[in-house]
Amino acid sequence: MHEFAVAKALVDAAIDVARDAKMCRVTRLRCRIGDMRQVDSWLLEEAFVLAREGTVCEVAELSVERRHMRLECEQCGIVFDVRDWDWRCPDCGSTGCNAHGGDELELTGIDGDPADDED
Amino acid sequence: MMKIETLRNVFEKNDQAADQNRAEFNRLDVTCVNLLGGAGAGKTATLEAIVPQLSKRIRVGVLEGDLATTRDAERIAALDVPVVQLLTDGGCHLNATLVQHGIASLALTDLDLLVIENVGNPICPANFDLGEHLRISVLSVTEGDDKPQKYPLLFKNVDAVLITKCDLAPYVNFDIERAKGEIRTLNPTAAIFETSAKTGVGVHETAAWIQSVVRRGRGAVTGA
Repeated sequence: MHEFAVAKALVDAAIDVARDAKMCRVTRLRCRIGDMRQVDSWLLEEAFVLAREGTVCEVAELSVERRHMRLECEQCGIVFDVRDWDWRCPDCGSTGCNAHGGDELELTGIDGDPADDED
Repeated sequence: MMKIETLRNVFEKNDQAADQNRAEFNRLDVTCVNLLGGAGAGKTATLEAIVPQLSKRIRVGVLEGDLATTRDAERIAALDVPVVQLLTDGGCHLNATLVQHGIASLALTDLDLLVIENVGNPICPANFDLGEHLRISVLSVTEGDDKPQKYPLLFKNVDAVLITKCDLAPYVNFDIERAKGEIRTLNPTAAIFETSAKTGVGVHETAAWIQSVVRRGRGAVTGA
C-alpha cells in the first residue's frame, strides 16, 4: 500500500511545478509508472483523490502511462516486454534474460489554468 | 489552458532527505545497510545471528522499523548493541524522514555500521531510498523459489541477497538454483548467500562480507 505515498508525492511535485509556472489550477497530472513499482491503478486513483484535496490539484485528473519491464534474452538477444509476469523469451523460451527498465516513477507533465486567466 | 512538460522523480523529496542522511553517515564515517524482506523472512533472526559476530570487531547499531510493537527492538537490545525502534503506526514502509528522526536518537559517532531493518513487506519498502550505502534483501525458502520475479524491485537494485532458512529447503521444495536464476535475471552482480540462522550456515560468510565492505570504505560500494 505505497499508493498513498506515490499519490502524495505526485501531488507535491505537481504543486511545485504549478507554482513555478504560476498556475492557479491544475487540471491534469501526467505520470509514467513502471510495472516493477507494483502500483495498483485502482488504489492509486483512490489515494490520488485524497491526496489532491485542498491543493491546487483539487480538481485535477490523473493520467498514468504504464511501462512494462523489458527483458533482453541472453540466448537470442531479442528485447521484449514482460506481459502477465511471463519472463520467458517469446522467441526461444529461454529463462536466462536480463531486465531493463520497468522501474519508472516520474511526473511527466501537468495541464492547468494560468493565474492571470482567473476572473 | 496551459500544458507543461517536465520530468520529475516522484520521490524527489524522499530522495533529498535520503541524500542528507547519506551525507551525515559519510561525515561520521558510518556505513549504513538497509535490510529488506517480507514479514517473517528472517530479517531479525539474521541480525541476531550476524550482529554478535560483527560486534566483536566493529561498532554496530540498529534501527528497527515496524508497524507496531517493540518486540524486534527488544530482541536486538538483548545483543547489547544500541537500537532505536521506529514505529510507522500501520505505515507499510520506512522513509528517509523517519530515519532522520531515528538517527537523531542514536549516537552515530560511536558506530561503524548502522543496520536499518525495514518494515516486513516485499513490495513497498524497496521504493524508498533511506540514505543507505548498501541494500541487502532477504528471501526465505519458505516463501518459495518463484518470488524474485514476483517482487522484482526487492531484488533489482540490491548489493546482496540472503536466502534464509536454508535448513528447511528440503521440506518446502525450494529449488535454490531456480531462485538464484531468477535473482540473476534482475541483478547479475548481487552477492548471494545461503544462510540459516538456526544452524549457522552462511552466517560467518555474510558477516565477513558486510565487515569487508565497512573496512573497504563506502567509496567501494557501487550504486549508493
